Amino acid sequence: MSDSEMIRSARFRQEREADWQKLAALVTKAETQGMHRMSFQEARDLADLYRQATTSLSIAREISLDRGLLEYLEALTSRAYLSTYAPQQRLGGILHRFLTSGGPQAMRSSWRIVLFGMLCMAAGAVAGYFFYLENPEWFYVFMPPDLSGGRGPDASTEFLRAQIYGDEGPEGLGGFATYLFSHNTRVAIFAFGLGAFLCAPSIMLTFYNGIIVGVFFGLHVDRNLGWDLFGWLSIHGVTELSAICIACAGGLKLGLAVLFPGNRTRSLALREAGHDAVKLALVAALMLVVAALLEGFGRQLVQDQNARIAIGWGVGALWMLWFLLGGRKHA
Amino acid sequence: MSIQSMDQLLPPEGVPLHFRIAGVGVRLAAQLSDLMITGIAALALFLFVMAIDLTTPGTLIAIASMLFFFIRIPYYAMSELIWNGQTIGKRLLKIKVVAADGRALTTQSLVIRNLMKEAEIFLPGTLLLTLDATRLVPSLLSLFWVMCVVAVPLFNKRRKRLGDIIAGTYVVHLPQPVLLKDMAKAIKQPLHSDQKFRFLTHHLEHYGAFELQTLEGFLRSSDRNKGPAAYQRHKTTLDALVDQIRRKIDYADSVRAEDLLAFLEAFYKAQRGYLEQRQLFGDKRVDKHHGTQDDPP
Repeated sequence: MSDSEMIRSARFRQEREADWQKLAALVTKAETQGMHRMSFQEARDLADLYRQATTSLSIAREISLDRGLLEYLEALTSRAYLSTYAPQQRLGGILHRFLTSGGPQAMRSSWRIVLFGMLCMAAGAVAGYFFYLENPEWFYVFMPPDLSGGRGPDASTEFLRAQIYGDEGPEGLGGFATYLFSHNTRVAIFAFGLGAFLCAPSIMLTFYNGIIVGVFFGLHVDRNLGWDLFGWLSIHGVTELSAICIACAGGLKLGLAVLFPGNRTRSLALREAGHDAVKLALVAALMLVVAALLEGFGRQLVQDQNARIAIGWGVGALWMLWFLLGGRKHA
Repeated sequence: MSIQSMDQLLPPEGVPLHFRIAGVGVRLAAQLSDLMITGIAALALFLFVMAIDLTTPGTLIAIASMLFFFIRIPYYAMSELIWNGQTIGKRLLKIKVVAADGRALTTQSLVIRNLMKEAEIFLPGTLLLTLDATRLVPSLLSLFWVMCVVAVPLFNKRRKRLGDIIAGTYVVHLPQPVLLKDMAKAIKQPLHSDQKFRFLTHHLEHYGAFELQTLEGFLRSSDRNKGPAAYQRHKTTLDALVDQIRRKIDYADSVRAEDLLAFLEAFYKAQRGYLEQRQLFGDKRVDKHHGTQDDPP
């Protein structure tokens, strides 16, 4: 059939069909092998042909009534769009950036909320302590039985001391795994995840966790074991309890975005808060892993009280240094 | 599959594209396939750890869940990064994550949406597995949570889960480009060359784009191979169709029985050329009621 007999849209298609098929082949290649395996020539052709196809599509929408063609072009352009606009970064770079700048910067920019989370826990601890002083029975109210492991107002002082300096719990890899998924990790995850539900659950959980620490302390201070418990808790607790506060701060950030979105829509506010919140969560996760390491390996190896305190607060100081100095622009 | 059930996305080029949103069912299926993949990998590693004797009976469960945890966290983020928004499960089911703002997916948003998956899917999942009938309040609370999280995608148009909302992404079906032949080019010649179908303007004034595209669908289906029963049905439809069109457009010349398909194809070509030409002049005819509708002032 000669060209003059063809209607306009059929001619339009005939002129461009070869390019479309070339684009389809390139898209398939990009999808199966990945962009980075394509040659420079091919990658450039892909971007060029994709832009041509978008033009073809918008022209075809105006001049053609051929549904087969319209659907084909739409699908082809969509596929080409998706493979042209692929993420450009590598995971290694992201990890590096998070460790050197992203994480500490997020911590610094939300230090008020982190401080608020820590205050929540501290307030809980003080409350718990005074609860215990008022009446030791409160211990049983607040302390989950699986966490106390037999310790309580009825236990003997020797038993408590043995718990602090004994070989309790599993060691090594098993211990690491056990402590990683311990009570505190669950609290941290909940404090973060529930934050989006209007903040309240995060604050309550952190406060409650503080109460647990408080009554626990009250018990040991009562038996003149306060300093020993301080060492036992310090070695991993400095890191672990801070991690809970930071996770809580991340949750609070999400909750605040839902409560007070300002001039933005709630989902937009949530998305913007999400960037920092997720970094806080990652920092907390990293700290929890370190805490599990300290608890699983360090606490059994180091039985000396002062060494425990030194290690615990030394690691805490290292975290602080990371938060304060990481990712600052050199003057 | 009409435009209405699809979602519009505006790439930087400014030509809107339409995607079909992936429903909850297909995403669940993709999730299950990914779970199986990561689960098997974790199991293999777990057996290895058991074989080299690093475990004690008391810590078996903790170690197993730790291995699963450390395998699945990088799996989701990395596979979606490498395959541009697709895990293996998503590849199997031909769905894909896209950024709602039409730009490239960022690593950050992929990491966010997959970390939120932990809080949304795995945590409640673990909770459900460890539910304890004797402790009623935690059980009810976790049930409530699970129901909330499952309900979130049902209450928004793009079926976003919480992680999608925060990361600004959603999941679509990958469109399959299939290039069908141009029906205006695939013209059957009438068997008797003395008969040539001619359509004049008053023949072509009746129909609009909808009828044209319905006819296009019929013509495309007439090429397919069919069984005897389907062929019979096709023949009846063809008869009725030609009859109806001839009556509607007032086509006086008779059409021979063996030329029915040729008539339809010739009519399709003429009608499409005419309608496209009208469209170029700003007269878009959506369907056959175009003449009766009130023109906007």
